[in-house]
Amino acid sequence: MSEPVIKVKNLKKHFKVYHKEPGLWGSIKSLWHREYETVKAVDVISFEINAGEVIGFIGQNGAGKTTTLKVLSGLLYPTEGEVSVLGYNPWDRQAEFQKQFALVMGQKNQLWWDLPAMETFLLNKAIYEIPDAEFKKTLGKLVDLLDVSKILNVQVRKLSLGQRMKCELIAALLHNPKVLFLDEPTIGLDVVMQKILRDFIKEYNKEFGATIILTSHYMDDVKELCERAIIVETGKKIFDGKLQDIIDKYARNKILSLVFSKEVSEKELKPYGEVKEFSQDGSAYTATLLVPRKEATKQAGKLLNKLPVQDLNIEEPPIEAIIREVFSAKRS
Amino acid sequence: MALQKYWVLLKLSWQNGFVYRTNVILWRFRQFLSTLMALTVWQVIFSQQGSAFNYSGAEMTTYIFLAAFLQSFILATALNGLANRIYSGQFSFDLLKPINLYAYLGTEDLADKLKNVGFLVVETIILWFIFRPELSVPGWEIGALFAFWLAGGILLNFLVTLLFGAMGFWSPDVWGPRFLFFIFVEFTAGKLFPLDILPELIQRIILWTPFPFFAFLQSQLFLEKLSSAEVWQYSGMLIFWIVLFALVVSAVWKRGIRNYDAAGQ
Repeated sequence: MSEPVIKVKNLKKHFKVYHKEPGLWGSIKSLWHREYETVKAVDVISFEINAGEVIGFIGQNGAGKTTTLKVLSGLLYPTEGEVSVLGYNPWDRQAEFQKQFALVMGQKNQLWWDLPAMETFLLNKAIYEIPDAEFKKTLGKLVDLLDVSKILNVQVRKLSLGQRMKCELIAALLHNPKVLFLDEPTIGLDVVMQKILRDFIKEYNKEFGATIILTSHYMDDVKELCERAIIVETGKKIFDGKLQDIIDKYARNKILSLVFSKEVSEKELKPYGEVKEFSQDGSAYTATLLVPRKEATKQAGKLLNKLPVQDLNIEEPPIEAIIREVFSAKRS
Repeated sequence: MALQKYWVLLKLSWQNGFVYRTNVILWRFRQFLSTLMALTVWQVIFSQQGSAFNYSGAEMTTYIFLAAFLQSFILATALNGLANRIYSGQFSFDLLKPINLYAYLGTEDLADKLKNVGFLVVETIILWFIFRPELSVPGWEIGALFAFWLAGGILLNFLVTLLFGAMGFWSPDVWGPRFLFFIFVEFTAGKLFPLDILPELIQRIILWTPFPFFAFLQSQLFLEKLSSAEVWQYSGMLIFWIVLFALVVSAVWKRGIRNYDAAGQ
């Protein structure tokens, strides 16, 4: 068993948040009187991560995922608790530490907006003191993996979201970080681009043995990349273990989305699973069924054989639904 | 290798600055018009009388010409938006990089100043031909001291800018105080008129603040209007202000970074 590269013990991060009353009067009142509330973004979280692991850090909006990543990166000063990444206290922000990790935020750019991405790469080369040969080799590899050779000299603001995200990843990985924090790297991307980035992250982990913490709202990201998941809710850790265990235990159903070519009744669908939605719009009949995981393929086959199915899609429930299940199970 | 990163950043900041050419040109045009107006107003005043406030027309033109040049150079900064960069969370990427933060911001600032120099030279040549100031180059001792005071003024302005920028760690309300500072500097740095035409008491008060180091005192030194005792006194005061602001900036930024909430996402 390898040594943990990330250790978090009893981490707390609280913020003081200003509450403004709605409307113009609230704005005027705030000139002389402001009310503050303490928000417990992270409230006593502990975990350890070993070298080379890919961890899915999941939770609903405001659960404390991004705040934890920011503390691990040394951007936020913890209110309480101990944090160690690669043996460093991130808050010391030592150059030796900063050269060994990277943080990618799906909704923020480190690329210089008005210049081609290549200019940011060259700046990072200088800042991270990457030797010429190593820079060329890494850049070449990343550019090939992400297929971006044609856009390197295009102004960043003229790139699509997906192209920009690819370039963000390259800028973050040029110095071959041993630890990678990915905060919603696939947010807003279409499914094809999500898949490309997932494959890339998987490949990067395999090739460089990097330790990766990934936050995402997309179940597919977490499922495809992470063996282990940490679920947080309102600043507290509520699950830490194998992802498959969560899916098996809490995602009891799969979702079957159906489009029919001819009329069907809701009654005809009931034998195949729980009918979640059923609608008719003109001559179009659509339905959503919840089917126990183990029976999903069997029931899909039966549906195709017995009913006029035009289109059928089998999906995992959204991550939020699974987390809700986990959370309600923990509360009860 | 260590300095290489700052050189690359300097070049990148230049490139970035030139993307919005209209902005750059209009900014310089505003500076040019401001100097042109100040010089024109004084020319009109002196067309009615030979001398005023112990200045001859030629002396005043020379003074305004020099002070405007100096102020334009000393006060040019790329960091007016620093507080917003911090408050919006965009500053996170600067904090994550293995680079000295002050040197990083200083390089951005320097790049902007150097970008301004090119324009400033052209503007100065145009103004020179219009107003014909009587400038004589001082000896090397004064010249060296002038360079030191100029560097000191630049450093002082950088520290003041960092201080305003640090407000972004706590609040987005930065433009009010910053704007007030700009207005105050217009009057107290000596761009519109030499400070020695003011009443004695006001003059003395202003000379005890750091503002005259943004143009007035350098101009006086260049024009050899200061006694050697005053030269020593103001050299000491310049060092005092730099050290004081450096200590305050260091303390405020240390506290600010600890308070930073890396907003966004």
